[in-house]
Amino acid sequence: MPDLDELIHQPVRLRIMSALTALDSRKQVDFSFLKEKLELTDGNLGAHLRSLEEAGYLTIEKTFVERRPKTFVAASGAGRKAFAAHVAALQAILKSS
Amino acid sequence: MNINPSDAARALAEIERTRAAMRQAVRSHCGHYHLWIWGAAWIAMPLYAQLAGDDHARQLGLVCLPAAGLSAFVGRAQSRQIRLPFDTRLLGAIAALVCFAGIFPFVLDARPALRPLYAYTCLIVMQAYIVAGLWTDSYLLWIGIIVSALILVGLFLFPAVFWIWMAVFGGGSLVATGFYVRYFWR
Repeated sequence: MPDLDELIHQPVRLRIMSALTALDSRKQVDFSFLKEKLELTDGNLGAHLRSLEEAGYLTIEKTFVERRPKTFVAASGAGRKAFAAHVAALQAILKSS
Repeated sequence: MNINPSDAARALAEIERTRAAMRQAVRSHCGHYHLWIWGAAWIAMPLYAQLAGDDHARQLGLVCLPAAGLSAFVGRAQSRQIRLPFDTRLLGAIAALVCFAGIFPFVLDARPALRPLYAYTCLIVMQAYIVAGLWTDSYLLWIGIIVSALILVGLFLFPAVFWIWMAVFGGGSLVATGFYVRYFWR
């Protein structure tokens, strides 16, 4: 049975990874958009994004759009793989019951 | 790490809920306004030619250029929150295609009639869609292929109803794709 990923399983991070992996692999999402859709605060989302970035599960790109700082986030290849493995582990637990 | 089956079921339901909500949110940022504006122009231009006659169709650029500018601006504004990393090579490839397409008629010393010229211009635009689709969203690729085929069918098989054909299958396809992107695109 595949192992659960403790980092991803935390409820907020699970929602972040679910949202980001729903996008096309090349697409990046604006930090504010993600915050609004997941109904999180700046600090809460930022802290969880940092943990996921440190694990190599997502990429964060800071840039300027029309002279305003913008942060774009995307799930990395490793993050997509880890998330898929985590979902498979959850499904295996459900099946084995 | 061990969890019980009911926790696993809850987590899976949460994943599905979040992914569905995200997909729905993303659909409103994929550029359907661009397709609706541009599609409306593609309906209006041939209808004007049909009603006013081919002689007046040379004024179509008066509708085409502002509509192209407006739809590009709206499309860009709409995709601000969900983006693909911008690749300047895409812009270069499209500029090269458009420049060469503009040069070809002079090289061939061709003076096409208005309808083939209109079809040719629309095919250049669709060529740009195909290139953009290869680089970015695949729906652009499919629009490019399908509308190009429809343009050729209208030009060669239904010349008597060419303008109506272009309004329905050229502009109509763009508007319909806008609805598809808005409500069903994943």
